Amino acid sequence: MIPEYYEFICPVKVLSGKKALANLSFEMEQLGAKRAMIVSDPGVAGAGLVKKVLEAFGESDCEAGVVYDQTPPDSGSKVVNEVAKQFLDNKCDCFIAVGGGSSIDTAKCANMIVVTGTSDLMQFQGVDRLDRPLKPFIVIPTTAGTGSEVTAAAVIYDEESHTKLAFTSNHLFPDVAILDPAMTETMPPKITAATGMDALTHAMEAYYCLAKNPVSDAYAIAAIRLIFKYLLQSVKKGKDLEARLAMLNASMLAGIAFSNSLVGVVHGIAHATGGVARVPHGVANSIYLPFGLENNFDKAGDVIAELVPIVGEKSTGDVKKDAELVVAAVRKLGQQLKEASGLPTTLKEAGVTEDQLEDIAKACINDGSCTINPEDITYEVALDIAKKAFG
Amino acid sequence: MGTQTVPRKLPFSYKLKKTVVSIALLALGVTFVKVSNKDKELQEELEDWKENLVFSLGVLPNGPAITLKHIGGRIKYLGRGYKEDPELKILFKNVDSAFLPFTGQMGSHTAFVQHRALLHGNVVDGIKANRAMNIVQKYLLPKIVLNYTFKRPPKYTFRQLMLKLNVYMTMGLGIALNATK
Repeated sequence: MIPEYYEFICPVKVLSGKKALANLSFEMEQLGAKRAMIVSDPGVAGAGLVKKVLEAFGESDCEAGVVYDQTPPDSGSKVVNEVAKQFLDNKCDCFIAVGGGSSIDTAKCANMIVVTGTSDLMQFQGVDRLDRPLKPFIVIPTTAGTGSEVTAAAVIYDEESHTKLAFTSNHLFPDVAILDPAMTETMPPKITAATGMDALTHAMEAYYCLAKNPVSDAYAIAAIRLIFKYLLQSVKKGKDLEARLAMLNASMLAGIAFSNSLVGVVHGIAHATGGVARVPHGVANSIYLPFGLENNFDKAGDVIAELVPIVGEKSTGDVKKDAELVVAAVRKLGQQLKEASGLPTTLKEAGVTEDQLEDIAKACINDGSCTINPEDITYEVALDIAKKAFG
Repeated sequence: MGTQTVPRKLPFSYKLKKTVVSIALLALGVTFVKVSNKDKELQEELEDWKENLVFSLGVLPNGPAITLKHIGGRIKYLGRGYKEDPELKILFKNVDSAFLPFTGQMGSHTAFVQHRALLHGNVVDGIKANRAMNIVQKYLLPKIVLNYTFKRPPKYTFRQLMLKLNVYMTMGLGIALNATK
């Protein structure tokens, strides 16, 4: 079915393959940049991945003006302001984010500060409030899940107001995303599993939620197919570069899909669970996805059923049975990942306590993702999903 | 050859839609105030709103707008346009996009889904405002319309049905009294 109206955008140049990183200086020169600020985190730097990026400058005229490798998991406005200051102090002319969602979002927000000259990002909260292009921005993901390398959004924590600040603007799209499997091969199995399930949730919710459209559907389907084929393999055999590259591609494809079609209740309640019980985003998404799918059987069961062949099952010809087969396939993958990596399949296993479920439900209904969910998400509905997922 | 400005003549249909949206915004503002004073469902929703939150609903570019303020669990109508530097704005990209939800042809969630409306400000505040406006819409639009535009058909208590009747009966007067604000 064609939507009455939709919009689609993805202006990011994607470089995918073994040794893709070798093109870094060429891409910088294409963007008119020579002196980069590298934004990363201690884990990525400790694994030697920042060193790999520095080596990629080779004999070119490009260089790193400064490396910031202290980005915390939930980056805040203080870090973002510090990164922006170091960018200006060291006369850099482009950003390179090396890491997962937090490093990428930190670089996006620091870029906003550098270009607009503000130290208060509060004024840019919301949608399409940036009115000018940002400094050249290259992203080298070291996880395969967030999809932030191809999205127009950024989220950071504001220490002053104690709230999360969310920004969406077409100016936040990176210019280039470099998908090199050498940058993810050292990722531990459990993180590989959790981030991969994050990508699956992006793709599936983009496919069945209200903002779906034919273009994002194509990306979502391609992502789901790759994830069902390669996620378990990349968890079991981390050095399998084909599987790693496939998962980087799946994450990128799912990122493009959900950047345009957005996500639903699974993300809404996963955000809430992260806020209330500090459950990592990918883990929470993985636990909630089957329940989120079931929650939407009434309103989008026919759309979910279309995914039967994509998840490797055979259609029965019955919409309800097919939708149930899709959920069963997701549960089976979750179980296999649990056996291979210890990825939790219930909230209890993830450390959530029963008395936190009400707070999770309260926070869930204030998440923007629930607006896009086909089924109406009230407090009672959110609590019901949380209770089912508790285990 | 010099440049010249091409004269712009706005079609009658555009002017009509803009007028309808202006009146609908005013009706929404007036009803928001009334319902916040009388309806428990909305009052419960407003319980955790920021005190003195100023928010606007408007139409881009340079279209009609209204501004409301949350004070002590109630809503105050501040008037047409953007008053007191609103912290939160829900903006429709053009008159055509605003016309659809304000005439009951589209739900507010669909307006966001179709990128017809956008939010300036904190997302959580925006979601709360949207949920509150849905409660107000229960009083503004006939149930037969809401069955189509809401994700789930709305339910009314007897007290709410009486209030809806009251809203319809006093709407004209409310609009007239606030038209010049």
